[in-house]
Amino acid sequence: MSFVLQPTRERSVPPAISPLVALAGLALFGPFLAPLDPNAQDLMRVMEAPSAAHILGTDHVGRDILSRVLAGAPHSLGLAVLCVAIAASVGVALGLLAANGGKVLRALIMRLADLMLAFPGLLLALLFAGFLGGGIWPMLIGLKLALWPQYARMAEAVATSVLREGHVEAARLAGFPERTILIRHVLPPVLRGVMPLATLGVGQAIMSISALGFLGLGLKPPTPEWGAMINELLPFLTEGFVQMAAPCMMIFLSVLTLTLAGRALASNTTGRAQ
Amino acid sequence: MNAVLRVITLRIGQALATAAVLASLCFVFVHALPGDLALRVAAARVGDERVTPETADRIRREEGLDRPLIVQYGQWMGNLARGDLGRSLLSGKPVTQELTYHAAFTLQLGLIGWLLSYLIALPLGILAGFKPGGMIDRATDALAVTLASLPSFLVGIGLITLFALTLRWLPPAGFRTGAHMVLPAFTLALSLVAFSIPVIRNAVVEVRQSFFMTYARVKGLTPAAAFRHHGVRNAAIPVVTYVALQFAFVIDGFVVIETLFNYPGLGELLVKALIVRDVPVIMGAGLIIGFVFAVVSLMADLVRLWLDPRGLAEARV
Repeated sequence: MSFVLQPTRERSVPPAISPLVALAGLALFGPFLAPLDPNAQDLMRVMEAPSAAHILGTDHVGRDILSRVLAGAPHSLGLAVLCVAIAASVGVALGLLAANGGKVLRALIMRLADLMLAFPGLLLALLFAGFLGGGIWPMLIGLKLALWPQYARMAEAVATSVLREGHVEAARLAGFPERTILIRHVLPPVLRGVMPLATLGVGQAIMSISALGFLGLGLKPPTPEWGAMINELLPFLTEGFVQMAAPCMMIFLSVLTLTLAGRALASNTTGRAQ
Repeated sequence: MNAVLRVITLRIGQALATAAVLASLCFVFVHALPGDLALRVAAARVGDERVTPETADRIRREEGLDRPLIVQYGQWMGNLARGDLGRSLLSGKPVTQELTYHAAFTLQLGLIGWLLSYLIALPLGILAGFKPGGMIDRATDALAVTLASLPSFLVGIGLITLFALTLRWLPPAGFRTGAHMVLPAFTLALSLVAFSIPVIRNAVVEVRQSFFMTYARVKGLTPAAAFRHHGVRNAAIPVVTYVALQFAFVIDGFVVIETLFNYPGLGELLVKALIVRDVPVIMGAGLIIGFVFAVVSLMADLVRLWLDPRGLAEARV
């Protein structure tokens, strides 16, 4: 996915902070903002058009769409962040290990990363989800397995070049232990390189998690996860356009925000490096 | 032709390694699952309510599930090596038969979608690359970012809503006629376009900035002629590399798009098999996808060597 990060134009836009903050707020406080119980069914009021009582209408068993979309935010957004955070930490750790370790260790880690990178990510998550019977854990393990190599590669590339720089040699000559050098001199530029990738990665993870939900292999209903909601609403597409549009727009806007933020971060950091 | 041979061996090795890892992983998964495998198979075959211990026992004997694990593993890998993928637990048909039936559909959809995506992306990407920062560049950039932020099932649902449910021009799902192909193919194409436009654009921009293009212009060629004679081939190198990478996205796309449009390809087969845990079919589909991935990578490598013979010289050294 890293090619999306290549800034197409010279510009130094500060990352779009406010939409990101809004997303984070939604992921943390979404369920508390829900006006009604997201799982409360009302079979007398199924597939109702938007009204004052149900601002975004109701679904096929009469649940309030607005409440479900809000309550679904931690599932769709929170899980994606968790997934990328763990994958990035593992990737960075392995990348640093590869850059700092011996030839054999480096070859081992990087070949493994290449092998995993060649494997379609969603397919891996699908296989895990399918074999282990859906739910959060198989999905997370599958996605993490698919995600760590890009962070390992980035960390290894940055760390290798930084380790050759003068200030690292100076620190070494000054007698600082290897661990201090890694934390003080190598980790910051590595994290700068990984941040845009991770921002974009959260967007990708949202798409994968919702795709799994859509296929019926992710989080199980009645969990109000956006992809699973779309799956449930699909048969009622003709009657409930607004109801369907709600989770769709949530996914689109979240991923768009993260994609734009990732690009802005990338152009900022490459600008500084010059 | 040394380099070509090397590339071929490398890719075949990669394909075999992927297959072996996948096959072993599947085996481990299946047997590490909690609960009685024979009981699960029986439930998938006759339905949850009608399973009796006797059915489970019969299946245990028939499928050889009562033998030691290591024997089962050896047999599993041995059968695979001979191209015998076993029988579907659900339909009882040989897996290879199921796979070839569904693969034909996927191949058709993939080819059309892929061609369509380059019909859209090539002109847009090249035009954008000719004037970086211009109107067309900004517009295609916005288009690419928007499409990149839309999972393929959202694109598909959008197309279904517009063309099948509102305008009623095309059928929403199915596979019987050519008209059924239009929406899935476009969905796939639009998901691909999101990522091929920037790749093509950047390749064009890079080539246009190179010294040999300046030289061609100095020598008196028009911009278009200079690009035709000297630019296209050079710009194609990163694009071809990308096509192979893109295949990984295509696979993700297939699974979702085929399920959405109820199109009987490999992706749909895989999802259905996953839901009922039809292990031989899951494995077969995983293996064939991994195999096709390796073949596509191999072809991309060969095309790249043909476009850029410098790779041949390097490989000989």
